[in-house]
Amino acid sequence: MTRGLSWRNFDFLLLGAVVLASSLGTAMIRSAVAGNEILQPLIIRQVYFALLGGFVIFVVASIDYRYWLALYRPIYFGIMIFLVSLSSFGQSAFGAQRWFQVGVLFLQPTEFAKIVAIIVLARYFDKTQYQPKNLRWAFGGFLWAFGLIIWILLQPNLSNVIVLAIIFFAMLWINGLELKQVLYLGLAGIVLAGIAFPFLEPYQRQRVFTFLSQDSTATYGATYNVQQALIAIGSGGLFGKGYGHGTQTQLRFLKVRHTDFIFSAVSEEFGMIGAIVIILTLAFIVWRCIRAAQKARDVSGSMMAFVVAILIFFQGAVNIAMNLNIFPVSGLPLPFISYGGSGLTALMLGIGLVESVVMRHSQTEF
Amino acid sequence: MSTGSISRPARFEVWRLAVIYIAVILAFTGLLFKLINLQVVEGSNWATRATDNFTNEVSIPAPRGIIYDRNGYILARNVASYNVVITPASLPDDDSDIQRIYRELSAFIDVPVGGPVTDASLEEAKLFAACVPGPGISQFVALQDTLAPYSSVKIKCNVSEDIARIVKEKTVDWPGVSVEIEPIRDFPTGSLTSNVVGFLGPIPALFEQKFKDKGFVPNRDKVGYAGVESSLQDILAGRNGLRVVQIDVAGQELRNLEPPISSVPGHNVTLTIDTRLQAAAEASLLQEINYWNTYFGTNRISSGVVIAMNPKTGEILAMVSYPSYENNRFARLIPSYYYEQLSQDPRHPLLNNAISAEFPPGSVFKLSTATGAFNEKVIDLNTIIQAPGQLLLCEKFNPNDLCNDSNTRPFVDWIFEKNPAGFGQIDFQHCIAYSSNVCFYKLGGGFQDEIKQGLGIERLGQYASALGYNKRSGIQLEGEAAGLIPSPQWKRINTGENWSTGDTYIASVGQGYVLATPLQVLMSGATIANNGKLMQPTIVREVTDGEGNVVNMWFNPQDFTVSTEQTEGSYQISPFTPNMKWDITTTPMIQSYSCDGGYCSLNENELKIVAPETVAAVRGGTRLAVTDPRGTLQKLFKGFPIAVGGKTGTAEYCDDVAFKAQRCNFGSWPTHAWTLAYAPYEDPEIIVVAFAYNGGEGASVAGPIVERVLKAYFELKALDIEQGKTTFGQ
Repeated sequence: MTRGLSWRNFDFLLLGAVVLASSLGTAMIRSAVAGNEILQPLIIRQVYFALLGGFVIFVVASIDYRYWLALYRPIYFGIMIFLVSLSSFGQSAFGAQRWFQVGVLFLQPTEFAKIVAIIVLARYFDKTQYQPKNLRWAFGGFLWAFGLIIWILLQPNLSNVIVLAIIFFAMLWINGLELKQVLYLGLAGIVLAGIAFPFLEPYQRQRVFTFLSQDSTATYGATYNVQQALIAIGSGGLFGKGYGHGTQTQLRFLKVRHTDFIFSAVSEEFGMIGAIVIILTLAFIVWRCIRAAQKARDVSGSMMAFVVAILIFFQGAVNIAMNLNIFPVSGLPLPFISYGGSGLTALMLGIGLVESVVMRHSQTEF
Repeated sequence: MSTGSISRPARFEVWRLAVIYIAVILAFTGLLFKLINLQVVEGSNWATRATDNFTNEVSIPAPRGIIYDRNGYILARNVASYNVVITPASLPDDDSDIQRIYRELSAFIDVPVGGPVTDASLEEAKLFAACVPGPGISQFVALQDTLAPYSSVKIKCNVSEDIARIVKEKTVDWPGVSVEIEPIRDFPTGSLTSNVVGFLGPIPALFEQKFKDKGFVPNRDKVGYAGVESSLQDILAGRNGLRVVQIDVAGQELRNLEPPISSVPGHNVTLTIDTRLQAAAEASLLQEINYWNTYFGTNRISSGVVIAMNPKTGEILAMVSYPSYENNRFARLIPSYYYEQLSQDPRHPLLNNAISAEFPPGSVFKLSTATGAFNEKVIDLNTIIQAPGQLLLCEKFNPNDLCNDSNTRPFVDWIFEKNPAGFGQIDFQHCIAYSSNVCFYKLGGGFQDEIKQGLGIERLGQYASALGYNKRSGIQLEGEAAGLIPSPQWKRINTGENWSTGDTYIASVGQGYVLATPLQVLMSGATIANNGKLMQPTIVREVTDGEGNVVNMWFNPQDFTVSTEQTEGSYQISPFTPNMKWDITTTPMIQSYSCDGGYCSLNENELKIVAPETVAAVRGGTRLAVTDPRGTLQKLFKGFPIAVGGKTGTAEYCDDVAFKAQRCNFGSWPTHAWTLAYAPYEDPEIIVVAFAYNGGEGASVAGPIVERVLKAYFELKALDIEQGKTTFGQ
């Protein structure tokens, strides 16, 4: 296990960026609580999860990622059991079942399912790296992904289904799916979306409609929330109103400001400077992960690091776009910043895998 | 390490990775672009919206001014009304505590706790306005909790002071429950003065913007709807204060953003009304109406008016319009059933008949004809008029019409039924004293060789206007009617017919097209009584500020505005100043006409005065009505200790009510009763007019009312002098 292990290769810049992002996040959550007593305990909980996450990074980094690949079966079926059990034992929140209570903690297996999907798919593409990159090859990967996607779809948690789809597609792409097939798959995706739309939950369809036809005078509901987010961001200006001094955040006009709309809270209190720091930090993390992917010694490691990058990029971009009213409202959190123990831990797990990959990238330096 | 040389590190195809990089860069650049647009380009715009979000303007209500009568007796004031309210955010956290509070409170104020809060029960509760009983406490609070948890919701309105006190004591045990004090307008004299004082109502939707601009808050502040509450709204209302506060999303006030502007209370208004005389006038009117209605066994006299005024100052001492309404019923809100009842009543209780209703004045109008005829030298003091019981006169629509049987009809005197021979030979002043119709037909329209040239309608109109007819008086009350003195042009335009000689005859005795408000009749009498000086009738004696200092105030009757300095067309209402409208003996205001053969033409730019002798002659006639054994007011004032002058009137009418009742039969039309009297004759200080709708004979129905009011006035005056007060003096 210690063979080829060199902490010299540990990407401290990546770790630094992650620490910066999650510290910023925790600080922002503290401000975003804004005197709400129910939200008060979340600050310390996020700190615990951040510390736990840091620990997880080191533990996972120190373990060779190929062990996880070898254990893919128990991991894959284990998470599947969790996902299935959600439908009957999970707590119902907002009509969707996404939570699983372990002691006092509410865990979101979906967040971990994404990491599992990454491991399983990385293994699949490693195994099939010499096969022709045709539809049959793509379908084989899809079957693996589908084993997890179907349960998430049943929760229903459409945004994470899309995240998984994007991950899978990015893997197909980088592994050399022929352009013609890309076109076919793209078309198929559009057709599928068209067919699926009428079967969506009413609230999901409503979000799309709300996004398409916005009533800026609404005093409640999704449009109101987005309007308040825009006011928060816009009124922040270049330098912001100061930590703890954002009127939209502190007077609670901004809703779900510690999770979905935390980017708006940052933009209000730290202005464009703060917003750009967030975007640049995320971009930096994405770049370090892709860099790790390029350095990886094998396809599976490369895939892992690459997909963690895509995951962080996609979730971050979608969340910020939603804050800026470019995308419809979805439940995707801002990576490392938004409140959410499971999300943060799962992401740290991902970073741990990336570190594990980059630490074992080559022996040429010896 | 051993496998290192075999498996090379996985490499991506460069272009595929490049696509990924481009996607990432494009996405983040796009976000950045939008960010700059929001925060830099549109920044100030969004900042304004953020400020709007947390800025709330709270209007501090200004207390409304108090209305007093001339003796300082309160006619309108503000009293506290208590509402039990709950502020959802201040309720305890524990649900069982909340339920306990609801249960205990429910027992006190008799509002149900309400079942479990369900969507259905909330939907139902939404249909109820505040203060309307229906939903339970739980529903009220649940609704308010979603709307504005830091604002209170009214659970029960207008609770008694006892309950308010108990609830207030209990607030220690009942966090969230409190008592809200709401100012309510109270009218201690109620219906007695409602036609003068008026009432308040919500800001009408039509004028919402106008009132908003002045700082009023719709649905909270009330404005005057009638009487001086309406006409002096600007004086009484005061100015609302303003606090600009920071609020959070739940509406909780956090701090003042700007120094608060405190409210300015409204000015107090003292009216010229004497409540005691007002009560006496109302009692006299009601007594007479009830007497005659009982006598005839039907609801014969349906409405009436009494006005008392000081002719030297124009102060209205009493103004009764019966039926009136109970303005205290409008204190909280205007109940629709009551309002419907009032507005559909054919007697129009919401109208102040003293100024808003026009009636044929009948014989009281003869003062105008007499003044005109004497001043135009149609008659002098020595002329003897033949006054038979009736005149046969022909109705000519054109000068060349020939008189024949078909256009000749009898014009009867009121004495005809009792004595067909009429009054015989009488002089000018006896014409007034006896109220001889025949005499005034002759004076107004001329008669053969006896009066070759009558006064004519054009000149009659001039003198009637000089006595106050045909235009609004300019009193500080809204809804005043202008009355009508017809002219040949008016008749052509409005009826499409030529003026006829018969029209002049009947106009000379205040019939036909002539219409006047009771106040105008009073003014005509006041002009004669006051030796030609017509004072501006006024209802306001003084305006004082919150500290009791008298405020300078002018009133403009054209647009009902008040100002603290004199403006064009305005007259001073505070401190009290008698305002003279005109003196007919010195102000040239009578248009000159040249008359020949019954037709008159205007001499342009020639204005003349009324000779003082004319006024004296007419005054003498009104005195003779009391002193002459056959005078119309002789019986009424036989034993009256003070010298009185006056004029009666019995005005035939046919309005929609009488027409529907088929009472408009030629020769026996229904009649309104009028009487006008002033005292003391030598130096009049009070003039009273009484009007009884469908009252019958003026002297016997309206006369006693006037007599009783005059009596009450002098008794009150004696009482005041005894107590060392000078209520009716200057």
